[in-house]
Order: sequence, then C-alpha cells, then structure tokens
Amino acid sequence: MHNWQQYVRERLSHITVSPERECEIVGELALQLEQAYTGALTGGATEQEALSHARNQIRNWDDLAREINLAERYVPAPSEKDRPFSGFVADVRYALRFFRRNPTFTAIAVLTLAFGIGGNTAIFTLVDAVALRSLPYSDPSRLTAIETRKSQQPEIEPWTSALDFFDMRDHFQSFSHLAGISPIWNLVLTGNQPAERVEALFVSASFFPMLGISAARGRTFTSEEDNRSTPSRVVVLSHGFAERHFGGRDPVGSSFSMDGASWTVIGVMPVGFRYAGEPVSGTASDIEAWFPLSANPLAASARGLRFLKVIGRLKPGVTLERAAGEVAAIGGSLAEKYPATNQGFTDSIQPLSQQVISKFRGPMLLLLGAVGFVLLMACANVANLLLARAATRNREISVRIALGASRFRLLRQLLTEGLVLAVMGGLAGLTVAYVGLMYLVRTGPEPLVRAWPIQIDARALLFTTSAALLCAILAGLPPALRMLRGDANNGLREAGRGLTAASHRLRSGLVILQVSVALALLVGAGLLVHSFERLLEVDPGFQPRNLATISTLIYQSARTPAARTTLWGELHDQLLATPGVTGVAAVSRLPLMGSNLGSWLYKEGQTTGQPPLDVEYRVATPDYFRVMGIPLRAGRLFDDHDDANAANLVVIDEAAALRVWPGEDPLGKRIKLGSDAATAPWITVIGVVGSVRHMSLENAPPPEIYRPYSASPMISPILVVRTATDPEPLLGPLAAKVRGIGPNVSAYNVFAMQTLVDRSTEQRRFVMLLVGGFAVMAVVLAAVGIYGTVSQAAYSELPKSAYGWLSAQPRKPLFR
Amino acid sequence: MASTDIRDLQKGSAEMIVLALLEGRARHGYELAKLIESQSDNKLQFHVASLYPLLYRLERKRLVEGRWVEKAGERRRRFYRLTSEGRRALEHQRRTWREFVDALNVLTRFGHA
Repeated sequence: MHNWQQYVRERLSHITVSPERECEIVGELALQLEQAYTGALTGGATEQEALSHARNQIRNWDDLAREINLAERYVPAPSEKDRPFSGFVADVRYALRFFRRNPTFTAIAVLTLAFGIGGNTAIFTLVDAVALRSLPYSDPSRLTAIETRKSQQPEIEPWTSALDFFDMRDHFQSFSHLAGISPIWNLVLTGNQPAERVEALFVSASFFPMLGISAARGRTFTSEEDNRSTPSRVVVLSHGFAERHFGGRDPVGSSFSMDGASWTVIGVMPVGFRYAGEPVSGTASDIEAWFPLSANPLAASARGLRFLKVIGRLKPGVTLERAAGEVAAIGGSLAEKYPATNQGFTDSIQPLSQQVISKFRGPMLLLLGAVGFVLLMACANVANLLLARAATRNREISVRIALGASRFRLLRQLLTEGLVLAVMGGLAGLTVAYVGLMYLVRTGPEPLVRAWPIQIDARALLFTTSAALLCAILAGLPPALRMLRGDANNGLREAGRGLTAASHRLRSGLVILQVSVALALLVGAGLLVHSFERLLEVDPGFQPRNLATISTLIYQSARTPAARTTLWGELHDQLLATPGVTGVAAVSRLPLMGSNLGSWLYKEGQTTGQPPLDVEYRVATPDYFRVMGIPLRAGRLFDDHDDANAANLVVIDEAAALRVWPGEDPLGKRIKLGSDAATAPWITVIGVVGSVRHMSLENAPPPEIYRPYSASPMISPILVVRTATDPEPLLGPLAAKVRGIGPNVSAYNVFAMQTLVDRSTEQRRFVMLLVGGFAVMAVVLAAVGIYGTVSQAAYSELPKSAYGWLSAQPRKPLFR
Repeated sequence: MASTDIRDLQKGSAEMIVLALLEGRARHGYELAKLIESQSDNKLQFHVASLYPLLYRLERKRLVEGRWVEKAGERRRRFYRLTSEGRRALEHQRRTWREFVDALNVLTRFGHA
C-alpha cells in the first residue's frame, strides 16, 4: 500500500498556507493520486503502470505549489458578507454568549445603564411634555401672546383691559386672529344637584378658530354670539364635564343653570383639549366651560380695569419682529389717546410657547442636565467595566490580530458588545423609566404633572434609543481603542497579568471624570438644598399651623351686599360653634395664591402726573389678622364698630408703608384707590400690619392694602378657621357645615393652611429632591468606578507585590 | 494545432465549466476531472495541477464551498458544491459566453460552416 499523503507532502513543501489548510490540501491531492492509482489497477494496468499513471497526474510540483499559493492568497472583492455590517449577527451572538458566561459583570453593567438610561428617559418624557413639545394646536409657531406690563413695576402680572383689547383688534394688521381670555372664573353650577364650583374661561369667538380646534360635538361661538352689545348666553363644555353631567346623552341644545342664569350648550370640546397659555399655565386648573368674552360681567368695564390675556395668530409671512413693532406702536398711540389709564405701560409680544414654558424652563433644564450627568457617569462606569474585562481578553485579541483579523473587524466586534450591553440596558431602562415616571406623576407638583399628558411615547422611545446608542459608543469605544492600539506581542506577553499602564491611565481618567461629575452634582444639589432651607425659613407673614381654609362660592341671587353680610354672619357663627374652632374669618384671596385684584393708589399730596402705585388689594373681616396671626405693627385693626364708616378706612402692610411713605408715619394719612383719582373718595390709613408673602415664599411681598368686609362684602369669601389642634380631622365637618348653610353655597379647596405653604414650595422641593437623588446616584456610581479601578490595579500589581514580599523574607531554606 | 486551440479556449472557460458541473449536485475533485474528460470526448482535460488550484480559487471567491464528507463504506472525500453566489456567477458567465458566441457567429458565420 502506497503512502500517498507522505508522497504529496514531500513534494508540496513550498506551499505557504496555515497548517490546517495544508493538511486539507495534502489530503485531497493524496486522495486524487490514490484514486488514479486504484483506477488504473482496476482498468488492468500493472502495479508499475498504475504507479506511473498516478505520479503523472502531477508532474511539476513547484508549479502546483505556486498555483495553490496564488489561489489561497486570492482576496475576494467585498461580498455581502464582508460589507461593514455583515457578520453583525455573529458579533451579537458572540457578545450574548460572553454575557451569559459572565452574569455578574453583565448584571452590574446592565443595571448601571438601566438606571442611567431609565432616569434620562423618565426626565426627558417629563421635560418633553412640559417644556419641549410644541403646543398641540394648528401651526403653533405663529401663535403669540401680547402682554401689557407696567413699566415701573414689571413684576406685576400683565393684564389688558377689554377696551384696549377691542382697540388692538380693530387696528392690528399683523394678526389674522386676536383673542382675549378672562382670568379663570369660578362659577356655581346650580340646579337639582348640590352646588358645584366650575372653573371657566370667557374667550373671544376667535379663540377656538385661532387654535385650529373645533368642537367634537356641536360648534364653538360665532362672532354674533360674542357681540359686545348683545352677548349670547351660550356655553361650550369640556368633554369631561359633558360626560359627568349628561352621561351618554348629547348635551348640545340643552340648557343648564350656572350662577343663576340659564346657558345653552352649543358644543363639546374634544377629549383632552386644554388651553396651555396663561392664565391656565402653571396652574392645575381644569377648565370645564367656555363662555363668550362679551358675556363676562367685566366685559363692559372701564379702560382702567385690566383683566384679559391677549393672544394672536400672526398672518402668514409676518415676522415676530414686525408684529412687535406694530404692538409697540399701537400701545404707544393708546397711551397718547388715554394717558390717564394707559401711560406707563409697555406692550410686548412673545411666542405663546414661550409664555407657556417660561414658568418651567429653568427647573426642567436643570433636571435634564443633572440626569444627563448621571448617564455620562453610567457610561463611564460601563467603560470601566469593559476596560477591566479587557485585562482578561488581551490574549484573545492579540491572537486574533496575529491571525490576521482586521482592526476594523475587531473594533466592530468590541463596539457591538457595547451596543448589546446598551440595548439590554435600554430595555431594562424602559422599565425603570416607566416606574420612575409613574412615581413622578403621582408625587410631582400638580401644575407640572397634571397639566400635560405625560407618558412614554414614540419620542421617548427615540430618546431612549439615542441614549442607548450614545452609551454604546461612550462605553464601548475607549476600551475598544485601548485594546486595538496595543501591540499584539505585548498583549500576548501581558496576557493574564492585567492591563498596560496606558489602560490604567485611561481608567484613572474615567474615575477622575466620575468623581468630578459626582462632586459637581453634589455641590449643585447642596446649593439647591441650602436655598430650599432658606426658603423654608422665610416667614410667610402669618401662622400656618392649626389653620384650616375653605373656599366658598355664593350663588348669584345671594349676592346683594345685605344678603352676603347675613350669609357671612351665619357662616361665622356656625363654624365658630364647632368644637375645637377658636376663630373664624374671611378674606378675598388667600396668601401664597398669587395676585388678587390690583388697584391704583394715589396718596394725598401726590403731584399731578406722577403715576399711581399698583398695590395688591384684599378684603378682610375684622378678625382676619388675629385668626391668621398677622401681626399689627402700628395703629389699629378693623373692628365691628367700623361698619358705618368702614368705606373710609384702610389697613396697609409694611411694604406699602415703606413704599408710599418712606420714613414717615403712615397712620392717619389719606389715599385714593381706583382708576379715577378725581372722583374716588379719600380713605384713611388706620393701621399697619406685617407683610404677608401673598405671591410666593420666594418673592418679596408687593405693597398690600386691606379693605374691611363691611365696605365690600365678598362674592366668594375664603374662610380661614383657627383650630386648637391639628385641623385635618375638622376639615370634613367644617366643609359640611358650609354646604349646609344653603343649597347654593359650594365649598371647595378645603385644606389645612400648612398644605398651602407646602404646596407653594412643592416645585422647588420636587426639583431639589430629584437633583439630590441624581447626585446620590452619581456618588454611588463613582464609588463603584473607584472600587473597580482600585481592585483591578491591586490585581495587576499582585504578582509584583507577591515577589516583593517573597524577596523581603529572611532567606531560610524551605526544607531542612 | 487543434488541441492547442482548445486548451487556450479551455483556460478562459475553466471556471464556467467547473461551476456548470457542480450545478446539479456536489462532486469531489477526482469525479470532476473524470467528468470533464469523459463528457468532452477527451478533448478537454484538466490536469490535477490546474483543477485543484482552480477549485481553491473558486472557494476563496465563495463561488463554491468545499466540505469533507464521509459516506458509509467510502473514503472521506472533499465535496464541492455551488454557493448561491456561484450560481449567480455561472448565470452571468453563461450569458457572457452566449453573447460572445453570437457575436462570433455573426462575424465568422462559423455556425454555417
């Protein structure tokens, strides 16, 4: 038997292929010769002839070797399999196999990324809903808000008078639509059911067409229905209100009684429709009814009464700058025409979207920034983990390079591993985001989380995908580049001994980055906590402990001054008779709830032409200051004997005293209130009380004046009830007593005063807690990063240390 | 003289011949050599020295795929089969040759000879 394998191997010594391939080729050629030999024998050839026939199959072995070498070295043109992303599936499989074999490594990396990506997705979803998304109206970029601010006191909320609005509407050329919007109006729904408060807006007929929103059922107002001389009693309802009160029935055409008048329903708005601009933005109000602006009781008021927000839609082709010029020009001409009411005001215009998000932009960007840093830290940590892993893979990579794997191919594989990790982290992150978002929506401040539908949607998923890809690159690239830059031989020598010095430097760099970011976040969070603490230390100007408050709304027919006074007397007596109640008073608007009504104040002796001062204006019962714990600084408070000449008395706060009579004693000084200084009566200052933070804890109190209740009985008094103990258990019984006064008296916003104080800091607390949470997360991530680096360094130094320790031992023979 | 001409032509068409023989089923090298000999009335001959490097080259081009197969009662042999890329390449080469032959036909009218 001939050994053809040996025969071929001896002659084919010049082929330069891998040993495995050589084996294959030799085996195949040997088989060919053997078959030729056997075939010849079978064909009747002699042994010698058969051998010769077989050997003649290949005569020139050198030529054959050269041909084989050429063939084996042939590099095919890139086929589908070799294109940049071919073999990607194999890389993914390889990565998954590795992760399955290293569950601890994978769990840590995936969890780290999950928290980073999940936290970012949750915050992005929140910020997107609140501050980034364009308004849900037709062509929202052309919607603008036109504001009229007092030049001297720009901090005062801008409102426009009805007459100014009508003049603007008649003269503006830049706008295709212009609409006036009333403040949020509380109305009492009357009828068979118990009195119910409804929050409503009075809007121009052009309001809905301007937004590009039609009624889901019926229609919205026509301009005839919004006619100033003959306003129509028609109403458009929210979907929620229609569902609640009409069930499945179509409410269009039916009538119901609101505030003592009958209104005809002409339309129902689509589900989820909400006006996002002022006066609704920044509140948790849920507007349930829209009325024509002309039906508003203030619609026919004088030019001095500013109570409207104005929005406009720019005509196509008109720029904001051009419109701004026109707004300023018309504001100027109104000031010239009506100097008594319009001088000292500045008109401006801004995109409606800016007005909507202005209250939230700062905190939202802060949150996004903080959580972005956390993502960066998560990526740094995973990069660190991958680098640590590189220690154990140096040999593998070096062998693959030595065997001819292209660096691009290896880079792709390492990046694929990062990508697979990031995708797993992203998927787990979605769960984290979902849970986190549920928590945020449940615990977040109402104006922030109730106003917009906040849910994970396509935009959030796109964000998550981008975040995951970013993580894949940030976490996968440093270790990949590090590994590939290394020399293959080095890798082989170093294998098993950990990382090179350069890798250590890279990892140390990552840890330094982490510590710096964590520190920055900690400092930021610390500053927020500090400023929040200072905010909590701010004296609100009254004693919120053991104080309850109930808002009421009195049905229109009881709104004659005498009827209101009787009703108040009843309320006062009944509530005071409740065990545990030590005082009852009423005010037109609670502290920390923002502006009430403003008024112009002229002081006696004021030079003609000097602009009046805008002051906050509240009506209070004599006991209000005592019940609230607002200190009297000078003079006296109202008392029950003031009734006869109550209209001539006023109590002012310290801020007003300082502003109007700096360095003087304000007691006995006389002022006039209102828009017409000539006709308004003189009012005497009888007392000065401490300033109350009426706007918010953060803002210094504006000048404030209080008029006695008997001079101006309130339509919807807000009751304040001082209790001997915690008011929470009394809230229910007190509200029931208020409702028990009569079927047309509603009670709402029933809560302990402390809740109001807490709520006023809710948004800051929310942002502070979140940023604080992210800072803690960053510190934990940095700690994990440091631990990883130190332990890896210790591991790679171990052999040297061990040798050092051994050589330091006394030289004693191990065996005797 | 005639045989030299055929060998020159054979060089240009070797790839197509091997691919075409593998079109129906997988075959090993010896079988391929035998088939070429027998089906061309011994006019075409592939020496081992040129057949195997050609097979290796086709393998590198991913037009064929070689695999060791062990059948019961037979020696372990390396079988070659056509890949999908090989199938496409064969179609392409057939088309090119057809066009070439058609052109030759028009120019030389050798088909009528």
